[in-house]
Amino acid sequence: MNWPSFSFPFGGWFFLSLIPLVVLYFLKLKRPRMEIPSLALWQSVVNDQRVNSPFQKFRRNLLLLLQLILLCLIILALMQPFISAGPETAEYLPVLIDCSASMSSTVKGADQTRLDLAKEQTRGMIENLRGNGRIALFSFSTGGRRLTEFTDDKQILLRALDKVEATHRASRLDEVLRMADAFARTSPIQRVVVMTDGNLTEHVDFELPFKLEVQRVDEGGNNLGITEMNARRSGTDSWDVFVRVAGSSSEPVYGELKLTQDGRTVGRESIVASNEDSERVVFSIDSTGASLLQATLELSDFDSLEVDNTVWLNLPQTRPLKVRTSAELFSWQHALNVQSDLDIDSGESPSAPAYDLIVSDSEDLGGAAAPIVIYSGIVPGELKDLIEVNDVDLDETPVQIVDWVNTTPLLRHVQLRDVQIGQKARFADGADAHDLEERGFEVLVHGAEGPLMLQRRRGLETEYYFLFHTDRSTLPYRVAFPILVTNVIESAMQRASLSEIVAAPTGVLPALSVTSEREYVIQGPTGESDTVRSTVNGLLTGVQADIVGKYEITDAGELVASVGTGLLSPLETSLRSVDELQFAELNVTTNESQMIDSDRHLWWTLALLAFVFLLIEWWYFQRMKTGVVA
Amino acid sequence: MTTETTSQLTSLFSNSTLNRIERMRLNPLRRLTNRSRGEHLAGKGGSSTDFADYRDYATGDDMRYVDWNIFARLRRPYIKQFLHEEELHVVIMVDASSSMLFDDKLLKARQLAAAFGIMGLLNVERVSVYGIHQQEGKPWMLPPGTGRTRIRALLEFLENLEGGGDVPVEKAIETMLRFHRGRGVAILLSDFLTFSNLSRSMNLLFSSGLEVWGLQILGESEVSPNLEGDLRFVDSETGETLDITNAGELLSLYQEHRAWQEEMLHQQCRSRNGRFTSVNSSMTLESVLFDTLCRQGWVLR
Repeated sequence: MNWPSFSFPFGGWFFLSLIPLVVLYFLKLKRPRMEIPSLALWQSVVNDQRVNSPFQKFRRNLLLLLQLILLCLIILALMQPFISAGPETAEYLPVLIDCSASMSSTVKGADQTRLDLAKEQTRGMIENLRGNGRIALFSFSTGGRRLTEFTDDKQILLRALDKVEATHRASRLDEVLRMADAFARTSPIQRVVVMTDGNLTEHVDFELPFKLEVQRVDEGGNNLGITEMNARRSGTDSWDVFVRVAGSSSEPVYGELKLTQDGRTVGRESIVASNEDSERVVFSIDSTGASLLQATLELSDFDSLEVDNTVWLNLPQTRPLKVRTSAELFSWQHALNVQSDLDIDSGESPSAPAYDLIVSDSEDLGGAAAPIVIYSGIVPGELKDLIEVNDVDLDETPVQIVDWVNTTPLLRHVQLRDVQIGQKARFADGADAHDLEERGFEVLVHGAEGPLMLQRRRGLETEYYFLFHTDRSTLPYRVAFPILVTNVIESAMQRASLSEIVAAPTGVLPALSVTSEREYVIQGPTGESDTVRSTVNGLLTGVQADIVGKYEITDAGELVASVGTGLLSPLETSLRSVDELQFAELNVTTNESQMIDSDRHLWWTLALLAFVFLLIEWWYFQRMKTGVVA
Repeated sequence: MTTETTSQLTSLFSNSTLNRIERMRLNPLRRLTNRSRGEHLAGKGGSSTDFADYRDYATGDDMRYVDWNIFARLRRPYIKQFLHEEELHVVIMVDASSSMLFDDKLLKARQLAAAFGIMGLLNVERVSVYGIHQQEGKPWMLPPGTGRTRIRALLEFLENLEGGGDVPVEKAIETMLRFHRGRGVAILLSDFLTFSNLSRSMNLLFSSGLEVWGLQILGESEVSPNLEGDLRFVDSETGETLDITNAGELLSLYQEHRAWQEEMLHQQCRSRNGRFTSVNSSMTLESVLFDTLCRQGWVLR
């Protein structure tokens, strides 16, 4: 139990006024003396009365006691007592406010969103801030954001709180907890309060160094939303568009899904979904040029969350995959030629500056570039001191592959067990795989004495290095080779967005290929605009897109591209609250009954009591005057 | 022949009241008498003219008391016995402490004491009077005496009896018994407002051969007190104080205690073959003497 504290403790000096009250009372209390024949009878009467009423001593000075109680109550009310809800016990209290999309959900018949409820409770905490307590406000969705420093200035805190708005992003708790943890190094933080609807991932990758109190507001109502949207190329000029719709309630909810292509309706499907059973809808559309798809969910009944009802998807212009191979890599050329929709360049020198895929047996690409580059028989220049490659002598046993990472897209379903290699790659003395990782290389295929295939990522580009020449092995003659080539083409097509496109979730817009080092204006769905400069490589990256909707990229007033985003978060759409958060070493329950109480003021209770005692005193005084037998 | 005179024999009551008192006599419940001869008929055989009983003649008996008529019929001698006339010692104790100065209680006590004394003296009883007070140099007792001639001394003693002091009744009884000899009646005229228990004093009186007659005299302020508010009572005898809060609330409880005290005194007297009654000092002497006490059998007319 918390003992009451006082907002105006100096009011306690008024208790000194009890002294003159007592003095005045006893000065005033001069009983009239009355001589009687004997006290014998009266003494027995008084004794009998004391025995029969044990509070006689109390009653004797009842009027004084009533006045003392009345004065004490008035002084206590003046001192403004309150029972603290706790902020002053933790002097530095970070309050993390969940601003994810689910916090903008509502309940049928109510106007307040979950965020409004959380802000109300936070406002109560701020208004009850007492003593040396300081609060810092943080908001979080996918990432965290500090709204205020630790301060006891209520106006600053309330102004910052008023500006908090729900984002259209999913919630992640770990990042904002790390921010709070960073503050714990400079401020004595004992506990952190999280104001949320509980729509969080159960597992949080964070070790709690402080006590976490999760204040959960009520869940939202029934919701239906789009959780997934992608398109897969089904032909030269056709796409299959997949849209998944999920619900939040256990009862099935009915709705209609509409798909528009550049504003023109191309499909409409009735859907029904619940929290147990989502529905996946497929639309087949024709598209040869770039177009913008918009999936919209239309509901006749109440929908708790609206931001997950619309998703955009950019379809690229269809074209053949541009592949460049070295002139001597016949095995690769042969395997690529049997594939369709490929534009293969096998000349001595590249005919274009950019390709979708380059397969080369030389480190010099002749000025050409591609998102995926495969080197055959090349040791990267950075690794010359760590790896040496020699030919295998005739009397030596050919090198065999020991292990490979079959989860990487390139080696999926590829069987390399029986491949024999005529070149031996091995680590230099003292070198190992750890040294390669330090230089940014990952070993995909392991030989008996060293790596045989490496991967390196450079921005959006990925390089694969066969440390042996593929033509100096039995790989081209194995079934694994056409599978490997198919995987390569598939990866290249995905990278070039020619085979499968996934709708972009809110957060950051996908990178766009534009003219290098130019400034572009990005106008968001709500009309706000921002200017972003493209990179040297001609990429427009890091464009923030927190709001669901269509973003238009213009260059000097001319529309360059339209990109749409959607919430696309099954967790947010489900509006499901977790009962327990699992941290690295600790579980924290999230309970609606675990309310973080605000301070309870007691002055009005004391004032009411004082009024009651005043009435009792008045009644008692009047009774004394009139209640005597005449 | 009696002649009407304007001068009063005593200031305690009028001559007409005195005349009525002279025709009255005390009526004790038991015959507690002394061996000395008097006019009070004792239970045992004596030489009065009132016949008591017969008994067989014994050698040495006075032949004058043989009933010769019975001897003539029965041829056996029987002695004729007569009631013995002995004197009754009437002890009158008048409480003259300070508490009796309220509401003319002392005056009423002196009047009643004079009446009882006159009744005793006129009936040839031995009468002694004791004043319960504490007045330095003042007489506090009238020695026992008999005969009509003692009436003046009795009246003078009572007329000069002044109130004051804080001598309690029980202590005065013990003091009186040190001087007292003889059986009879002890009449206590007091308000009986004492802190201690009177049982021991009653026992002492009873064991001394005295029939205890308690006559409580209370004033109007004690019978029906009119009080209100917070008061500080001061004891008239001891000067001690007692604070009373909201005295109006205590009146009913006071009346209960007063009734209980009366009942207790009554039981104490009755258990010792005595009498007890309580009178209001505002009542007239005639009303007390000729009505209350007569009806209760204290006196005979």
